[in-house]
Amino acid sequence: MSPKGTDETTTAETEASETVETTESTVSPGTEETSVNTAETTAVDPETTAWSGPAAWVVPALAAILGLVAVWGAFTIEAPPNATRPGPGAFPGAVGALLLVAAVGMSVVNLRNAGSGTASAPLAWFEGRPVVLVLAGLVVHTALLEFVGWLFAGALLFWIVAYAFGARAYLRDAIVALSMSAAVQVGFSLGLGLNLPGGFLELVL
Amino acid sequence: MDTLINLMDGLAAALTPQNLMWAFLGVLLGTAVGILPGMGSAMAVALLLPVTFRLDPTSAFILFAGVYYGGMFGGATTSILLNTPGQASSIATTYEGHKMALKGRAAQALGTAVIGSFVASIIGTLVVALFAPVMVAFALNFGPGEYFALTVFSFVAVAAVVSGSVLRGVTSLLIGLAIGMVGIDAQSGTARFDFGSSSLLDGVDIVIVTVGLLALGEVLYIAARGKSAPDFAAIRTGRPWLGRKDLRRSWKPWLRGTAMGSAFGPIPGSGAEIPTFLSLGLERKLAERRARRKGVKNEFGEGAIEGVAGPESANNSSAAGTMVPLLGLGLPTSATAAIMLAAFQQYGLQPGPVLFERNADLVWTLLASLLIGSVLLLVINLPFAPLWAKLLKLPKPYLYAGITLFSVLAVYAINTSVTHLVMLLVIAVLGLVMRTFGVPVAPALIGVVLGPIAETEFRRALAASSGDPSILVASGISVGLYVLVAVAAVVPLIGYLRKRRAATRVIDVQEPTEKV
Repeated sequence: MSPKGTDETTTAETEASETVETTESTVSPGTEETSVNTAETTAVDPETTAWSGPAAWVVPALAAILGLVAVWGAFTIEAPPNATRPGPGAFPGAVGALLLVAAVGMSVVNLRNAGSGTASAPLAWFEGRPVVLVLAGLVVHTALLEFVGWLFAGALLFWIVAYAFGARAYLRDAIVALSMSAAVQVGFSLGLGLNLPGGFLELVL
Repeated sequence: MDTLINLMDGLAAALTPQNLMWAFLGVLLGTAVGILPGMGSAMAVALLLPVTFRLDPTSAFILFAGVYYGGMFGGATTSILLNTPGQASSIATTYEGHKMALKGRAAQALGTAVIGSFVASIIGTLVVALFAPVMVAFALNFGPGEYFALTVFSFVAVAAVVSGSVLRGVTSLLIGLAIGMVGIDAQSGTARFDFGSSSLLDGVDIVIVTVGLLALGEVLYIAARGKSAPDFAAIRTGRPWLGRKDLRRSWKPWLRGTAMGSAFGPIPGSGAEIPTFLSLGLERKLAERRARRKGVKNEFGEGAIEGVAGPESANNSSAAGTMVPLLGLGLPTSATAAIMLAAFQQYGLQPGPVLFERNADLVWTLLASLLIGSVLLLVINLPFAPLWAKLLKLPKPYLYAGITLFSVLAVYAINTSVTHLVMLLVIAVLGLVMRTFGVPVAPALIGVVLGPIAETEFRRALAASSGDPSILVASGISVGLYVLVAVAAVVPLIGYLRKRRAATRVIDVQEPTEKV
């Protein structure tokens, strides 16, 4: 917490970068990233790769939308008459404004990268199918949980996610899924007294 | 001396069979998640949060402490055996550790890592026990203005220092702050961003955010990576073992690594990465010097045991170091610490000076449980490290299906509400987007936890001064903190400029040779 402490941080930063540059000769010194993150993934570091193409606008757009919602909130939140100033709208206003600034900043970076042509497409490796499957499994689980109960909804979720990750021994997967789900339900109701929904089994038993 | 007596009392309180079981479970679980790639102690603590509601706070924190330490060590196992760091804090270990494994010295690498972690945890915890009360004495002078300055400092430090790109780090932080604003405003009782939903009035529970961003977001990310995701084939290992020669080479790096970790752990935003790399760099320089002066062979680059001993002790002692600001000031300096702060809040406890006064026994028990955690770490991992590596042979589909199941369970268990599951889905997709586009998630977590605190302190300060903003810079402490904010913001900028200049220099040098 002393100024000396920050000095140490500085040396740490520079030392760390030297370390990596000497060990990994493949890292070109021109990449504008901190060394710590360089090593995080051996191939490319997503935190510093530049974005390109239409996908590059996803994060700036997200920041802009959140920023607009926050700013809109700042103006529409009605403070109770006796509230002290700054009221409940001040903080959302500031965060919203900063989000908009960040969105603009990222857009500028995008435009500059588009001009120089150095950026790589971030989504080349992205496989949509398994993601959609996992999400579908979550939606189905959420919808069914309180009707069919934890045992089956949980097992179904497990099975779908396993399928999305490439499990194809359907029967074995189903058995594993059911036993996992059952183990969780039993463990939780016995060990922690947490009641997970039993669903229609409650009616049968 | 008071400190030691308190610590002994804490030890006596923590050493119940039940608590030992929780510590054991924590270390076990922590080591497991540390080994599994893409999972860290932060995620494990997040998944455990709802489960621990039903435990008393002491047991819960003993469990968390075990997870934290176990996670730090688990990461080392995969770094050494597979060249795959399980979490960021073990990256530095891969360089020399994996080379040692390739040379058939995996057992020695694991041995020095386990014992180094143990030494570092013990010393680190003692340092915490000594310094947390000092921090508390310091923090007693803090008013709302100083606390606000402190939160601003951690925001800037986390967003600017930890992330690869400052802009993305700041964006992540702001997203976290925005999520933290949902719900009833604590100061005026006004509903904010509830969009007509009564569930949103309570805000977005921190468990939903952490599980969504860390656990489920990771599952979706791995799913998206499909075949490009890392795969773990066969690996061989022996039992961790250290001969006398290796021990002689290891003990100094252990102590140096511990010193570095303890120094950096308490600094917001420095995380475990900086001290580990710093320690690796120092050990390499010292080895070079030894080679020059005494003619001792410099093994760096071919698997030097010093390069494992140093970083491994650095990351464990920095884990202990993060407890100083967490307990003394209520300030989390890492994602795991942020979730632990949330856990404190779930129990209605606010870490900081008040906690030390009102729940001193809990604090000392927690510190003592860190010691117990270190001992268990040694006991569990020294004989069983090869067994742990087998965890990686778990079929991937079942592993991620299991994580998904537990994520859903953790969130549903908060309040047995299906609406929470819908929120989880949204946050998980946000986590996927952030990961896909390389926006770090740790700043967002810190933002969610610290955002409401920052806002409350800010408004409390201004209410106390009836709107006069000069109260924010009224004391030397806050001015000092704002100076640090400026330094934390400027340092990465200087680093960036230096690198750019270095890059242009390299190009200048290269060009003539290319022409020839």
